[in-house]
This record gives sequence, structure tokens and C-alpha cells, in this order.
Amino acid sequence: MSFLAPLAFGFAASIPVVIVFYLLKRKRVVKLVSSTLLWQKFLADTQASAPFQKLRKNWLLYLQILLLALAVLALSRPYFATTAKPAQLRIIVLDGSASMQAVDESPSRFEKARFEAVKWVDSLEPTDQMVVLLAGANAEVKQSATSEKAVLRRALQACAPSDSPTRLGPALKMAEALVRDRRSAEIHLFSDGAVPELSDFENKALPLIYHKVGQRADNLGITALDARANPEDATQRAIYTSVGNFSSNTMSADLELLFDGQLLDTRPLTIPGGQAEPQVFKASQAKDGVFTVRLTSKDDLAADNEASIVSLLPKPVNVLLVTRGNRLLEKALRAAANVQLAVANDLTDAGQGFDFIVLDGVVPTAWPKGNVLAFRTVNTNWIESVANVEGPVIVDWKSTHPLLRYAGFDNVQIVQSLTARAPTWAVSILEAPQAPLILAGDLGRQRIVWVGFDPLESNWPLRVSFPIFIANAVDWLNPANAKNSQLLIKPGDPFRLALAEPIKTAEVKLPDGSTRQLNVEGANEVVFGDTAKQGIYHLRAGTNQVTFCADLLDSAESNIRPSDELKFGEYTRVTATTVQRTNMELWRTLAAIGLAVLLFEWWWYHRRTV
Amino acid sequence: MSLLTPELLRRLEQFQLLAARRAKSSAKGERRSRARGQSVEFADHRSYVPGDDFRYLDWNLFGRLDKLFLKLYEEERELPVRIFLDASESMTFGEVLAHGHRSKFDFARQVAAAIGYVALCGFDRVSVVPFPNAAVRDGGKTETSNAQLPTSNVEQSAIGNRQSAIEGALRSVRSKKSAMQFFQNLNALTAAGGADLNEALRRGALEARQSGLAIVLSDFLDPAGYEAGLTALVGRGFQVNVVQILAPEELAPTTFGDLRLVDSESGGLQEVTFGRYRMKAYQQTVQNFIQRLREYTTKRGINFFMASSNMDLQDLLLKQLRKSEVWG
Repeated sequence: MSFLAPLAFGFAASIPVVIVFYLLKRKRVVKLVSSTLLWQKFLADTQASAPFQKLRKNWLLYLQILLLALAVLALSRPYFATTAKPAQLRIIVLDGSASMQAVDESPSRFEKARFEAVKWVDSLEPTDQMVVLLAGANAEVKQSATSEKAVLRRALQACAPSDSPTRLGPALKMAEALVRDRRSAEIHLFSDGAVPELSDFENKALPLIYHKVGQRADNLGITALDARANPEDATQRAIYTSVGNFSSNTMSADLELLFDGQLLDTRPLTIPGGQAEPQVFKASQAKDGVFTVRLTSKDDLAADNEASIVSLLPKPVNVLLVTRGNRLLEKALRAAANVQLAVANDLTDAGQGFDFIVLDGVVPTAWPKGNVLAFRTVNTNWIESVANVEGPVIVDWKSTHPLLRYAGFDNVQIVQSLTARAPTWAVSILEAPQAPLILAGDLGRQRIVWVGFDPLESNWPLRVSFPIFIANAVDWLNPANAKNSQLLIKPGDPFRLALAEPIKTAEVKLPDGSTRQLNVEGANEVVFGDTAKQGIYHLRAGTNQVTFCADLLDSAESNIRPSDELKFGEYTRVTATTVQRTNMELWRTLAAIGLAVLLFEWWWYHRRTV
Repeated sequence: MSLLTPELLRRLEQFQLLAARRAKSSAKGERRSRARGQSVEFADHRSYVPGDDFRYLDWNLFGRLDKLFLKLYEEERELPVRIFLDASESMTFGEVLAHGHRSKFDFARQVAAAIGYVALCGFDRVSVVPFPNAAVRDGGKTETSNAQLPTSNVEQSAIGNRQSAIEGALRSVRSKKSAMQFFQNLNALTAAGGADLNEALRRGALEARQSGLAIVLSDFLDPAGYEAGLTALVGRGFQVNVVQILAPEELAPTTFGDLRLVDSESGGLQEVTFGRYRMKAYQQTVQNFIQRLREYTTKRGINFFMASSNMDLQDLLLKQLRKSEVWG
């Protein structure tokens, strides 16, 4: 046996109240009278001498009838079906992003949203079903379709907000799949509307009801953070950060810079409403460590007041150039920053000890295992169907690729080139009409740039784009850089660490100090996904010790101004609903009134006899 | 406290008790009686028998008829007036007025005084019978209060003795001269204890040597009823007048709520929840009670008067009694 409204047992608390009434002794006033004879006659007259008497006007009677009517009405469980038509399936989508932690609602937006959602659970009809989705770091189904209110309430209680940016898309896709073939279904989204583009849903006609939570946007937030070598002084690091004021008022705060928890610098900031202020700190760094910037303001959202970044000291890049002689290439490589170049005729081992290897038209004896920049290299197992093309015309290049940043191929002519069809692991970044000329991509854990032609058989080395390309390639192929970029993730994103040798377990220390053991037996990389909280994580896997940071750094999320409508692409809008809940049952109210009437009746009964 | 104002006394002097029946008293008085005797009222003739008083021979008739006839005159006799005065505890209740306390007993004494005064003015013999009498009361009192109040016993018995003396003095009063003493004695009476109305009336009827006018002043709040007593009085040949005296608080109670009522005479308890809304029902009960008594008395030729202890005494004495031809 189960109960639809087990909370109603709380009304049993009224039973002692009734008992107390009966425990109360009627205090009779003792009065001496001449004779009780008349009173006896009076009582005999008034007490029923006949089974029935004329119905007299008695307010007690009316009150009792009213009480009974209320009780009967309450037992019939009436309800109003006014504000919304009953839906068979309701999907509750709780926005669990960082901005929902804002405290402009009491105690927080997320708690408010949960409270509202619970009210919808309460108003669920016995035949209706409800699904609970949490759109936090990931879209989670907290409860599949059910009518059990207790289960739904428990599922809502189990929801918790994360520090991640809003990822409504996957949750809405899930909800859409659930409601696709349902005639009467509703998606109830409890959010502050600080959501990214949702144009995927523009023409889906989602039965979405948007419940807005949030009131204001008094928030200062760190929206960007980077640590680089100071271009002016090589001995120092420059920490670039940006603080946005998302309120409409001017706000002030102190911005602190910390290195491994030690305070380095403090700057008072006053930022006008709606504006962002970039800040650059300069600090010398003696060892690898974590730079943290922190805002000391008390604003509505605390999650974006702190951001950390791992900063590793720059290390020289060891490059091996395997060539039969190419002075232009050698010179371009030496010109790149921090490069320690070694030149060899052939490669006899896998190239251990070098950060990457440049193959210049040479088929090495042993193929390198690290990253490779290969010029006109055939007989590889990387690419297939290599053909020779005479005088290919460059028609297109991908200027957005990091390799070709600031590098243009105007006025570059090529005598001849090898071409190959682009394999699945690589993208073509320089194209002739026949085939791609430069391919770049990650093959396994190897990063490969394959150039089909010999630069010496073109006028490319004479163009300014050549040293830029080489410098970009040094950056791109340097495994340390790639690793560094992985050390900053968004909350909720998984952290990956490639393993050089197989280990059994890894241990992660979370920002709150707790540790997680990971079983990585048989895997060639560690993947850690429990990064919902932002902050500094320490991973120990065998001999590897890695520190990485999860930071919000999202101006869309820091902009906690609750929006009254959600935009789905250019034309579709969903306006925040004011509907609170439907099918509100009245019996509780009726029972409460009934109780009040009962108490009033008691009082009346006592009062009028005095 | 004087029972009656001089002004009222003056007005009462004009009245004379009207006896529907001929006086049966053996004592001479101013009432016409069936008895033949000496007065100025000629009644009849009868033949002379030897031994008759010559003075009453009708010599004129002898002259005409040559026969001796004796002139008979109506003898005027007194009217015995017996006033049964309820002196039970319940009679001590009544309205507390601004100038003092006038209980039902006070009212009853005033009525008794007025009737007694009218009777005394008419040369009638008045006897006041308070009940319960001192003897009954003392017996009851000592039984109950012996244990608790041994010290006051002496005092009690002294009061009882005095009460007995007063009662004795009130048993037979004649002539207007003794009116002041009569009033004083009435005034000295106290009300206490429980009364048995039936027993008191029955005994009064038996004790009376001659029947006459009987006035019953009581609240008639006796659980045993009043029928037997009244019937005994009527059966003895009394011309009975009944004045029922009730206190205002008995007619319309002023105390509401959850009450535990204590009977002043029997000490019995009665729990009542009484509110204003039940006032009508209560008053109906009281009216029914009064009506039953009225019907009972009217059937037996008894004059019935209902009085509230706070009513104007003159209204009862000068209007109601006169209208009912108790006196005129």
C-alpha cells in the first residue's frame, strides 16, 4: 500500500488538539439558588420529551453543517483545471549551470527552481507522468517517466548545480526525443535564461514552457585568463585576464593575483555597468605553478569570482632535422623561439629525446614515434595513393588553422608536388584542384604535418609565410604546448592524460580536498570526468603528477541577467511563463477552513453560554 | 424596618375582610354568623319555651296573636384569619435593591402584616403560622450542625427559644391595639431551614378550632408539591387565599454559563448550562409552573395571586386583593 499524499498524515497532529479540548474541564460556577425545583422542571421540559422538536435557529447547528460540508467537499478532492490543460507527460528540465547558483533568489536560483518544480510535482495528476532532467555539466536523466510523486520529489532533491556553462542543448534534445510522439506533453524548463544559442530547436515547435528564475544581475565575473611569456621581458610571465561587470551599475572590487596560493598583487577595480576591463599582471615565475586571480567582491554569483591557470616554465624545444641539406629550412627552424636544432642525415631510432622531427624528403631507416613535420615524404603508412602533380595551382588554404595563422599563399608557385587523398585523421589545409598539398592532424598520439612538395622546388621559402609557417609548426608540434592547453578545461569537460606506460590506478585530488581513485588498468590514457566543480585538480598517475584547472571563464554564464524570453534561432521565441502550477487541489484548503470552523464553533459554544 | 408605611396603614383601615361564609367562631365578634344571639340584626321568631329570656319576647306579637314568641337576633361573631407564612430558607432570596434587601420573605411579611392589620381593624382574630416552626427548625439544625459548630449551639438555641416565643405570640392576636406588637413580632421572624408545605397546611387545618379565612404566603417551591395541604385547608372549610411570591431572579435568572446550582434548602446539586438563548424556554417553564398552581386553586375556589418580590406592594394590596374581593 502506498499513499499519494503521505504528508497528509501530518494532519494527525490535530488529533491531540481535539483531545486537549476534551481534557479541558468545564468550569462550572457554583451558585446558591432558592430552589432547584424550577431548574429541574426546566431541564425536564427542554430535554427531549419527544424524539423530534421544532428546528430552532442555532448557530452551532449551522457551524456543524458547514464543517461537515467542508469535510465532504475536501474528501471529494476538487480541483481547478484553469491555467493549463492537463498533460500526460511533463518533462522538468532543471538548469544546473553555474549561473543558477546566483543568490539573488533566496537561497539561490537553483533552490528556487527546485521549489517551483516540486510544486509542479505536487500538482501532478495521478494519471500523468513526469520526467526530471538536469542540464548541468551534462544532461542527466534524474528520473525517467513515472507518476510516483515521492520518487519525483526525491529525484529533484538529488539534483545539484554545477560550475559548468549552460548546456541546455543536450537536455532539450533528450526532452524532444521524449515528447516527439506524444500528443499532450510539456517541457517545463526552469532556468534563468542565460543560455547559449539554441538555433537547433528553431523549427521543432517544442512544447516548451519556460519558467524564469532570477531577479537581477549584480555580478562581476572573470571571463578570460591566460598565462604567457611576457613579450617585453622574457624572464617574466604575463597573466592576461578580463573582468566583466554584468550589472547595470558601476561596481568595485579588488582583483588579486595569487601564485600557488601566495598573494602576489592586488588591484582595485571600478568597472562601469555592462563593461569589461582587461587586466595584465606581470610576475616572475621560478617554477611551474598555478596562477589564480580572485575577485573580492560580494556579488550574486560566486562561481566566476575565481579562476586558475597552470603555468609551466617555457622549455627549449628539441628538434631533429633529418635532411640531405636544406639551409633555408634549417635557418627558418633556428629562427623560431626556443628551438634547439639538431641536424642529421638519417634517423636510425624512433627519435626519442626530441620533441619533434622534421623529415625533409628523406625516407628514414626508422620511423619516428613523436610528432613529425614531413616534407615530400613518400612510402609512409600515413597516407595512401600518393601521386605526383606537375605545377599544382594553389586554390585554397585554411587560414583559421593554427598552422597557417598569419600565413598566406599568394604568389607561391610550386614546380611539382606529391598529392594524396586526405585520410580520416587529417585535414587538408592547402589545396590544389587535384588534391591537398598540406595535411595536418593527429594520428593516434602522433601529431603529423605532411607537406607534399619540397620547399626548394617552390618559391615559398622566399615568401614571408614560410618562416611564419615554420614557427607555427614548432608551436603546434611541440608536445608541451599541446599538453599545456589541455591543462585548462571547462567545468564538466573530461580531462584526458595520455599514459606513456600502463599503470593500474590513478588518483585525483579535487578542489574541495577529497580524492578519487580511478581504475585505469589496460587503458592508454586517464580520463577524468567528475569536473563539475571549478578549481584546481591534482592528478597522480604512476610517476606522472599533473595539475589542471577547471574554470568557468564564460561571459555568457557570468551574465546572469535573467532573460524574459529564450531565443531559438532568429525567429522563434519562448517567453517566460507566469503560470505557477495547474490542477491545484483544493481539499487541503477546504480541510484547513474546516478546522478553523471547528475551532470557531468551539469558541462560540463556550462564549454564548457565558 | 417598618413593614408598612403609615400612609398604607391608613388606607388599609378602610378595608374589611369579606368572608364569603358566615363566621363560625365561637367568640363574639363583628361578623354575622349562623349562630343566633344578641345583636341588633333581627333574624327570626320562634315559639317560647319555658326558660327563655323574657327580654326577647315579642310583646307586640303577643298582643295581636295572644301567643308567646321569642325574637331571635343574629349573633355577630369574629372571623378567624389564619396566615400561613412560608419561612423556609428559599424565602430569603429576592432582589437586592439599591436601598436594601427585600427578599421574598420580607414581601410575604408585608403582605401578612397588611392582611393582619385589616383583620385586626375588623375585630377579627389573626393567627400567623410560620412554617417551618422553631421546633422543627431547631431539630433539623442541631442534627446537621452539631459536629461542626458546637460553640454556636448555645446561641442557636437562644435564637430558637426567642423564635418560639414570637411564634407563640403570633398564634392569636386580637384588637387593633395589639397591631404594633403584631408588627414587631412579624418583623422579628426569621426564615431558615426547609419547609414541608403540605405538612404545615394540613396541621394548620387540623389545629384550627374553627375554620375561617386562610392566607397562604409561599413560593410553593416544594418538591413534595402543595396539593395535599391546600386540599386539607379547603376540606376543613377554610376560605383559602393563596399568594405565590417569587423572586425576580427566579422569574428571569441573571447568571449564565456552566452552573452548578446548590439548593438552599436541601443542598442538592443541579448542573445546568444556561445561556440567554434559553431564557424563553426557562420563563415558559416558570409560567407553566405558575399556571398549574393557578388552575389547581381556581378549581377549588381558592383565590390565587402571583407576586414578584420586587413588585409594588400597593398594587397587590389595593388592587388585586380588592378586585378579587378578599376585602373591600
